[in-house]
Amino acid sequence: MGHEYGRGARALVEKARAQVAAAIGARPECIIWTSGATESDNLAVKGVARFRGDRGRHIVSSRTEHKAVVNSLKQLEREGFEVAWLTPATDGCVHPDQVEAALRPDTQLVSLMHVNNEIGVIQDVAAVGRLCRERGVTFHVDAAQSAGKLPIDVEAMNVDLLSLTAHKAYGPKGIGALYVRRQPPVGLRPLIHGGGQESGLRSGTLATHQIVGMGAAIELAEREREVDAARIRRLRDRLWEGLRAIGGVALNGAAEQRVAGLLNVSFYGVEGESLQFALRELAVSTGSACSSGAEEASYVLRALGRDDQLAQSSLRFSLGRFTTDRDVDVAVRTVAREVPRLREIGGWAAS
Amino acid sequence: MSTGQYSASVVEHFGRPHNPGRLPEGPDVLYGTAGDESHGARFALSARIAAGRIAEARFEAYGCPHCIAAASWLTTRLTGAALEDLERWSWREAATALDVPAEKRGRLLILEDAVRALARAWRDLGELRA
Repeated sequence: MGHEYGRGARALVEKARAQVAAAIGARPECIIWTSGATESDNLAVKGVARFRGDRGRHIVSSRTEHKAVVNSLKQLEREGFEVAWLTPATDGCVHPDQVEAALRPDTQLVSLMHVNNEIGVIQDVAAVGRLCRERGVTFHVDAAQSAGKLPIDVEAMNVDLLSLTAHKAYGPKGIGALYVRRQPPVGLRPLIHGGGQESGLRSGTLATHQIVGMGAAIELAEREREVDAARIRRLRDRLWEGLRAIGGVALNGAAEQRVAGLLNVSFYGVEGESLQFALRELAVSTGSACSSGAEEASYVLRALGRDDQLAQSSLRFSLGRFTTDRDVDVAVRTVAREVPRLREIGGWAAS
Repeated sequence: MSTGQYSASVVEHFGRPHNPGRLPEGPDVLYGTAGDESHGARFALSARIAAGRIAEARFEAYGCPHCIAAASWLTTRLTGAALEDLERWSWREAATALDVPAEKRGRLLILEDAVRALARAWRDLGELRA
């Protein structure tokens, strides 16, 4: 890049690369810019599988991964790869022993998310990373939901590939990154071919403004992480206490091993679409099939063993840096008004 | 979430349903139910009969806003109805009145089943008394 403006842009991109790398204990040259975690997941999962396909075609993952991983793996199945889909325990946790039992001599990749996007459960990625390193299996972690919320150290966790996105950490939409281990090197076949940017792994002109935004957002999130998490956890606990008092509610996912800002709750005796419409003044999302346009209730909650009614009547509450006590009180008050109203209309009687 | 996918009548009935609940059992009270929670809709209709007409009707509905609105709307139409009106009733009336989208019409068929069950109960009651 010869001219002054180009050098300026390059310096900003490299500063952001260092900011993102520092947040996950990585070297800057291991960060590849992408359009978001969906592209990062695609590049990681398909890239490794296709690169190592001649050595083996077996992959281990779980049923509760994000759709970006699930559907990338389904594509690989169509290409002749075999995927071991692990079913988590009813608390949403995939036990490292399950991963160990599923590993085979021809396993090339294990892909496991750090924090589940629907239920907030934290997976023990460090234990799985140890296993993978011992067996020489590449380990990919989708960290879209955990960056800036939990400590991440790709060295201590033995992670080979890690997907990140800016907008989950209050950064701009449309920018993400993939950490790719260089020592020992991870072989990846690119998805996008062109001018050979990003070490040939992701061609295309870099979106400087987006990248700068991601660098700043991730650095800020990491700096504020502990203070933010403690405050958000207190708000989440207050929300849960308020919801639990309504009665006939079930917490989805492990009670303790969860990220601070997510609470997923199912309500007995209430239909999901009506619940969401009744709560339209709140920013909540449901597992209801109707509202998402999907044919089935949340596949994550179904994998945890919830029946259709409870999977459909689930609400996901997201709390963050800008959530206040008043927001929590309004949410509790609204749910405490509407859930009993809908139950009465439905003739539901708690047993 | 806006109210865009629901008509004004659906929003009105959902927010302030007419005749919710269940009539207490009595010699002139009939019940008709259909559906279950696993299918996404359950209706329980109850009606008190006087002089060959429905004197009052109530509903319980588990389901989407269209279901709740349709059942509420139905009860306002049932008052004064005769047995023949119940046997003739079609889900299309509710679909038209409330502007229910095509993908929800299967649920209105469950409501029609509940109306038919109510009609059967009425006929059975008549035969018992004959």
